Amino acid sequence: CNDNLNIEPEQYLSTEVVISNSENLSKVLNNAYNDARSSSSYGGSIAIASELIADDGDLWWNGTYVDPGEFIEKAMLSDNGFVESIWMNGYDIINQANIILGNSSVYADEDEKQTAEAEAKFLRAMVYFDLARLFSKPYTNGIQNTQLGVPLVFTAVLDPKNIDYPTRNTLEEVYTQVIADLTDAYDLLPSSNGVYATKYSAAALLARVYLQMGDYTNARDMANEVITNSGASLTNSFSGAFNNDENSEEDLLAWQVTSQDASSNYLNLFFAGSDFGGRSGNPDIDVEDQHYEIYDDSNDQRANFFYEAKYWCTTKWQYQFGNIPFIRLAEMYLIRAESNFRLTTTVGDTPVNDINILRNRSTASTFNSVDLDIILMERKRELSFEGFALFDAKRLGNNIGTISYDANQLVLPIPLRETDANTNLEQNPGY
Amino acid sequence: TIIDEQGMPLPGVSIIIENTQTGTETDFDGNYSIKAKPENVLIFSFLGLKTVKQTVGKKTTINVSMISDNQLEEVVIVGFGKQSKRTVTDNIASLTSKDLNNIPISNLQGALTGKAAGVQIQQINGKVEGGVKMRIRGVSTISSSQEPLYVIDGMPLINDDESVSDAPMNPLISLNPNDIESIQILKDASSAAIYGARGTNGVVLITTKQGKSGKTKISVNSSYGWSEATNTVKFLNAEQYIELFTEASANSYGADDLWLTEPGGYFDDMANGLDWRTGEVDTDWTDYALVNGSVQDHSFSISGGDEKTVFYVSGAYNNTEGIVRGNSLERYSYRGNLDHKVSDKFRIGLNSSLSKTQISRIGTDNSFSTPLQAIAQSPLNPAYLDDGVTPNNESTIYYNFLMQEYNGSWDVNITRAIMNTFAQYDFTPDLSFRTEIGYDSNNQLDEYFAGSLTESASTNGYADATSIQSDKYNINNYFTYQKSFNTSNLEVVAGMSFEESSRKRQYVAGTGFPSDELQTVESASEITAGSSSRTKYNFLSYFSRATFSLYDKYLLKGSIRYDGSSRFGADNRYGIFPAASVGWILSEEDFLKNSNTVSSLKLRGSYGITGNAGIGNFASLGLYSGNAYNKTSSLSPSQLANSDLKWERTTQVDVGIDFGFLNNKITGEVDYYVKTTNDLLLNEPVPGTSGWSSITRNVGSMQNSGFEFVLNTTNVTTSNFTWNSSLNLSTLKNEVTKLPNGDIVAERNLVREGETISSFYLVEYAGVDPDNGDALFYTNTTNADGTLDKTKTNVYSDAERIVTGNPYPTLMAGFTNNLSYRNFDFSFTFQGEWGASIYNEGGKFQSGNARYEDNQTVDQMNRWQNPGDITDVPQARMYSTNGQQASTRYLEKSDFIRLRNLSLGYTIPRNVTQKFSVDRLRIYFTGVNLLTFTDYTGYDPESTYDNYGNSSIQKGIAFYSAPPAKTFTLGLNIDL
Repeated sequence: CNDNLNIEPEQYLSTEVVISNSENLSKVLNNAYNDARSSSSYGGSIAIASELIADDGDLWWNGTYVDPGEFIEKAMLSDNGFVESIWMNGYDIINQANIILGNSSVYADEDEKQTAEAEAKFLRAMVYFDLARLFSKPYTNGIQNTQLGVPLVFTAVLDPKNIDYPTRNTLEEVYTQVIADLTDAYDLLPSSNGVYATKYSAAALLARVYLQMGDYTNARDMANEVITNSGASLTNSFSGAFNNDENSEEDLLAWQVTSQDASSNYLNLFFAGSDFGGRSGNPDIDVEDQHYEIYDDSNDQRANFFYEAKYWCTTKWQYQFGNIPFIRLAEMYLIRAESNFRLTTTVGDTPVNDINILRNRSTASTFNSVDLDIILMERKRELSFEGFALFDAKRLGNNIGTISYDANQLVLPIPLRETDANTNLEQNPGY
Repeated sequence: TIIDEQGMPLPGVSIIIENTQTGTETDFDGNYSIKAKPENVLIFSFLGLKTVKQTVGKKTTINVSMISDNQLEEVVIVGFGKQSKRTVTDNIASLTSKDLNNIPISNLQGALTGKAAGVQIQQINGKVEGGVKMRIRGVSTISSSQEPLYVIDGMPLINDDESVSDAPMNPLISLNPNDIESIQILKDASSAAIYGARGTNGVVLITTKQGKSGKTKISVNSSYGWSEATNTVKFLNAEQYIELFTEASANSYGADDLWLTEPGGYFDDMANGLDWRTGEVDTDWTDYALVNGSVQDHSFSISGGDEKTVFYVSGAYNNTEGIVRGNSLERYSYRGNLDHKVSDKFRIGLNSSLSKTQISRIGTDNSFSTPLQAIAQSPLNPAYLDDGVTPNNESTIYYNFLMQEYNGSWDVNITRAIMNTFAQYDFTPDLSFRTEIGYDSNNQLDEYFAGSLTESASTNGYADATSIQSDKYNINNYFTYQKSFNTSNLEVVAGMSFEESSRKRQYVAGTGFPSDELQTVESASEITAGSSSRTKYNFLSYFSRATFSLYDKYLLKGSIRYDGSSRFGADNRYGIFPAASVGWILSEEDFLKNSNTVSSLKLRGSYGITGNAGIGNFASLGLYSGNAYNKTSSLSPSQLANSDLKWERTTQVDVGIDFGFLNNKITGEVDYYVKTTNDLLLNEPVPGTSGWSSITRNVGSMQNSGFEFVLNTTNVTTSNFTWNSSLNLSTLKNEVTKLPNGDIVAERNLVREGETISSFYLVEYAGVDPDNGDALFYTNTTNADGTLDKTKTNVYSDAERIVTGNPYPTLMAGFTNNLSYRNFDFSFTFQGEWGASIYNEGGKFQSGNARYEDNQTVDQMNRWQNPGDITDVPQARMYSTNGQQASTRYLEKSDFIRLRNLSLGYTIPRNVTQKFSVDRLRIYFTGVNLLTFTDYTGYDPESTYDNYGNSSIQKGIAFYSAPPAKTFTLGLNIDL
């Protein structure tokens, strides 16, 4: 009878089996992408937090969820469910990256090992970067950023004994780690890698990070590297860059959404009308009159990239099962243009040419010359609703209405469940 | 002639010649005649009276006086045997069919409410299939199962919630309460320890009805009833809504901003073409959500038998239309019980039941499709479009739940078969062996469809189907040795039990339907999800119990159980669960034996250890599950390993007195118990920075203690009028005594050392600033001397949370009265609970001084308007937070007293009905939840959020939770 008490699970593999086999470990890596794609992170929550918190009248929240409502009101509570899931899912991805990095010795093939490690570092850096941008005061270039960042965790937790109660690292430490991981990823990733991160995904993300830090030289050089060598090209029309089943030619990395992933795309769920997968009644996030003022040419495809579903919606997130672009080549042109302009250089091309490349693609009239305001306005025309709003406001020192760009209320609270579970974590001021 | 104790003739007594099938029955005057030989033995039996055996001999007339089975001579079922109630040394609450019959509630637990001391029974909310929580002597665990073990005729029942949504369903919904003969609730450790690893939450032993030898008896019961909600809450009408929200908008955006009221403004939007200015629209959404329900219950049973074989066959039909729109239940059930003596030494039996239950379900409390969420809609929202048929989903603030009924469905079909068979062989009169094989099969099919007009519009409809096959088989083998010596009695039971439970589940979902008429997944253009899974667990156990009594007054019992389960790590697989109890029947001592006052008096004491294994099947292992990214397989970390995981152990001490005074006209029990659980199985939250949210560990300790008091009185007994009362009171004190890794906070509920489990942990609301209408909170920061700083602040984040109340009652009471006068019978039960609170998680929307556009409770009209106003409702500021944060503003005491049930019956005189060959014809009225006395202002002091129905920490939370039904029933009992 004793043997009867040994029952093996039929839907699960044990930890030992998973970490001792490279094929299984690669499947954990694949799962880290899956978790990154989930609605809690890059499937919408991060971008929506950024767009709504930074909103000053372009958008309106019609939705019934309280949590995004707190974003647009700029009155987040520490028990905000979106905030909690951004944090929890972020560290879940980091742990999976750490599982790969801590057990990569099981790979027999050196190339496979190197790629797996580099992808793990890419994902880890990506998450740390966004957690730092959301949960910390803005980064200031040229000084030691000693303000609180987020805890850096490098050890995989496979056993309850490894659970520790970390304190928050400084923002400087977090950015240093992000650059280090991404630089490794850039050095070690192959230039093509299916739908997964490539060398140029890493370069593009580095460009984004450097821009956020105000390090325009590196931002420019990385953007130029991507434009020159990645092989990516702008889609023929603006609409071609969105709502695709397969990645478009300008995607440097996109989150894959299939018909098996119903409701994992929050961008669609909240930005789309209900006939296109959005929540019932109306678009939860509609685009208000004020927004349309940024378009200077009625022929600009971007000025017409909206549709009516009771209220007006952006067409960017119209397809429930479409891939979610994470880094588009268009952003690289914008980074290169802005950095070149600020540095008064013309690495790769002149700022005016870079801007006109984007305007041409969207059938907007071109400029003879550009200044910083025009470049930044072009950036807004190109990248609206993709999650850049808050991070650009903080980077550029733009106040949101009457709220200062570095105000406490524009920084997310450390989730209440987290400060409850780990008393070593210091809460952000104002919560 | 057969007479009773009062000398009255007894009709309907069965008389049988021993070892034959020959028998008869007394007539209306108690007379009988039968042909018998002198050597025959006649057996006289009658329900509730002691069976009498008489050898015929030379007598031609045999008159018998039958005496009642004294209450203390009652037999109670204990695990693996039965025992005379007189000599029981444990605390067991015993209920019989009389306590349960004719209460028109479709679930058996509901009928027990208020009847047993220390037992709290709560249906989560008013949905008919809703989960029911039975807590015996409080909650003794944090993260593992809090449910008692249910055992029917010796067979542990499947008691897994198989709801496909977060709202639990009652797994026992498919049992027909009319088939139950008795229920024993094993409350103390000494009685429950024979079920070892699963005894901690108490054990509920259900015994089904058996036939009796004699005349075949046919009983028919038929009832029909009406129901409505016990309570509704008043919301704003259109006029009030316009007033409050116009003001709220003015406060936020200035009175010049007419976005609500201007032509084409938001109010026009809401009204969808109707003119709200002239009062053309004023929808009372409550009327659409809570409707009039009905209950039909029809059953019959045929029972009888002879000396060798008895049988009981029954069939029943129940149809309950819930008070929440679209929610209903229909159940067909059958039972056949058979007991046969093959020889003097060998007995076999079979109990079998089959039932089919169909349930129309509705969304969980947290879905827009659940009816009660309609109260959030504006009174300016028409419920239907102009055609009066199509629900208005164009202008409602939220998804209109009526659409779900109009264009969707959710049906559950449950087929349940329970079979128990036993064989018993008596080697000698002292020694017997019994083997029992039980099988329980629960098959459930869940089908959901949402058409092209529902929330699934974008995919042109959605359908899914979930099928579950749950099987449990159980084998018990045990010996019973029973011997009476001159001055003592000994009984020993020893045996083993093996139980295996397996569960299989299949699921498929699809989207894209060519027509709303085609509602099964087969018509889907795309299969969007599917899965199948298998899991299993088992228990292997050995047990033994010895009961000894000396001089029939000194009682001793000891038991031990050795349990093994597949659920625990290989190193901690087995557990030993011992128990012992003693009793002393003082009333048998010389100094009391002849007392006229004291008719019985017994002291009891017990001690025992029980366990709890109610955790996941593979809780000790580190697990990765299959997943996918971009349709490529992936492995997702799903559980951290913990090989140290072991049984949770509860030690319980109970002392009690059973007493009877004045010829047992007054009887009762007083008990005090202390129940200490160590190695608490805990889903402990861990820092999310670890990549995990929680792990299951054995940490911490908890204690429950309380008094229980039962008093039964026979107030009046005359030939025409009888009146009995039964009062039970119980107190409960729960304290988490050790929690080494500190507080566990689950939103509003807290687990903290020194506090009651699930205490509310909230910022304290301090009312409204009379100067500016701001909501205020007490800072409650701790001063240097340890007191709390009661400074008021309007900055929420400056206020600290405090422990304030908890969701469990500290005092519970039940009071039942049974009266009969001539042919009338009347009974009623009052039940009350004191000390618990409920937090309304929906409060911020429902009573949030117009922060959101949701309709508001009428009390929000008392909002602050002008400097100097003294009120609890802050200034209304649309889309701007002012007091809607989680705080004690939404916490309320939920004390209540309820007239739980009442029944009034009239039995047509027998001499009338006999003319139609009817033994008994009774017509009756029954009411459930007729009266509720409470200060609680929410829907119902017993209704809570069904999404947290299976949460062990998040308790006492209300969220659009439907009230229970108040039911009025008329019925008919016929015995042939």
